[in-house]
Amino acid sequence: MAPGGRASSSATSVRTDDLTKRFGTRRGVEGVTIEVRDGEVFGFLGPNGAGKSTTIRLLMGLQRPSRGVARVLGLDPVADGAAVRRDVGYLPGELALFPRLTGRETLERLGGARDLRDTGWRDSLIERFGAEIDRPVRTLSKGNRQKIGLVQAFMHRPRLLILDEPTSGLDPLLQEEFSRLIQEVSADGVTVFLSSHDLDEVQRLASTVAIIREGHVVAVDTVDGLRRTAPQVIELRFAHPPRTRFADLPGVSVTAQGERDVTLGVTGPVSAVLRAALSDDVTGITARPVDLEELFLRYYDPLTEEKDHAH
Amino acid sequence: MRTDVMRLDVRLRRRGLVGYTVGMGAYAVLVVALYPTFKGDTGLDAITSGNSSLSALLGVSGPLTSPDGWMNANIYANFLPLVVLLMTIGYGASAVAGQDEDGVLGLSAALPLGRVSLAVQKILALVVIATPVAAVTMLAAVAGRRSDIDLATGPLVAATAAVIGLGIVFGLLALLVGALSSSRTTALGVTSAVAALSYVISALAPVVHWVHAVRWLSPFYWALGGEPLTRGIGAAATWTLVLCIGGLASACVWAVDRMDVR
Repeated sequence: MAPGGRASSSATSVRTDDLTKRFGTRRGVEGVTIEVRDGEVFGFLGPNGAGKSTTIRLLMGLQRPSRGVARVLGLDPVADGAAVRRDVGYLPGELALFPRLTGRETLERLGGARDLRDTGWRDSLIERFGAEIDRPVRTLSKGNRQKIGLVQAFMHRPRLLILDEPTSGLDPLLQEEFSRLIQEVSADGVTVFLSSHDLDEVQRLASTVAIIREGHVVAVDTVDGLRRTAPQVIELRFAHPPRTRFADLPGVSVTAQGERDVTLGVTGPVSAVLRAALSDDVTGITARPVDLEELFLRYYDPLTEEKDHAH
Repeated sequence: MRTDVMRLDVRLRRRGLVGYTVGMGAYAVLVVALYPTFKGDTGLDAITSGNSSLSALLGVSGPLTSPDGWMNANIYANFLPLVVLLMTIGYGASAVAGQDEDGVLGLSAALPLGRVSLAVQKILALVVIATPVAAVTMLAAVAGRRSDIDLATGPLVAATAAVIGLGIVFGLLALLVGALSSSRTTALGVTSAVAALSYVISALAPVVHWVHAVRWLSPFYWALGGEPLTRGIGAAATWTLVLCIGGLASACVWAVDRMDVR
């Protein structure tokens, strides 16, 4: 693909610094600082209501920040909105389309506004997703509307794709097709900003992940990096109830405690845990890295965070 | 100048636009066709002559059986402005606030165009939507020359323009309130209330002293208070409407530019 961009090129496709949006007393996002390099697939993970869509609307210039800076393709998405949006393909979360128009008319009007003349790629996308384009949108299921949303986001061969919950409503086969498409365009150098609450999807596609919770970005790392810094889970079994208070050891949190067994999350060296376990006559030990699901929940779950702070 | 969003919005209102235009055209033809039956009915004139309060409530002046009196009482003073306002206030409330509530404004706002262009295209769509009903009514009135509705061209065009201008004023007000509140209901409610008040002020100004003193606040007074179908529209009224439209349009551009789109 040779995306024809007019916005200036830069090493980073998206950069935000202290990006903040408040809606009166309602929380939007607070101090979001992220960087998406050219050509990477960037996963933006968080539960519903965490601030993913608000961040995306700020990147699209649909909303103005209360504070902070956003640069998309090197430009200010509010002041230079037209130039930015020329090179961006956008799929809104909770996609709504014009109910009375057919999918075909929707795509033709949105494509026309982008001066899209070569419709070969668009038509191949329609075929690929099996999009129903000859019925009024109001008669279509959520999944069928989502297909039209995906086609309109990809059809003008943008340099940057900003996709908000793109596989919402798609069946597993189409989710697979979507993943293949992302891998193809990514191989062609297109940058992808992908928001999702589905860890598997992001893990499969993204090289870098940001996790947002309650309006704050709580972690930004590569998927490998997140795994590396993740705590190990160590389960210990004892012949007698252990005397050691494992929670007092450095870098250790107790996730489950029975009479003669204990499950720990350990960040850093495990030697202190092993020494204490030996002194307590340990009879069995299992150690494994935390999986991303647990890690994800750790960032999500306010109780986990409080426990961490307490230790 | 791009017109994609303007054409899209007009397309989205097409069914209503065609329906209102056909309906109003049919009504206007009927009114015109009935004129020969009533033009000799002096009893009709007796109802309003010497009763300025009743005339004011009907929004008419002069004899009902003259061609301009007949067309004014049946179409231009009440019914046509009502239909045009229904369309323009409806579109004004939907163009920004309604589309934002429905989640589709983001599709237009995510296109490669600036907010000023988005706002200007919405305003142009409003002008397009305000026009056909008044234009088809004018055509019916022109056709009425065959049935003794002998209206001078200048005043007829002036009255048509005045009604369209009035529709644009209130459509812009609805668009503005919608852009400021992001609420279609608020836009409809506030604008309908202001339009109703404006109509009452204009209608009662000739007979109620204190209302007469504030008549200049009413766009209805400037557009229709000077009996444009009989006398045309004066320079003061023209300029007032033009400035009103210009001021509201500028405010709409400003409000759309700063609004947060879902």
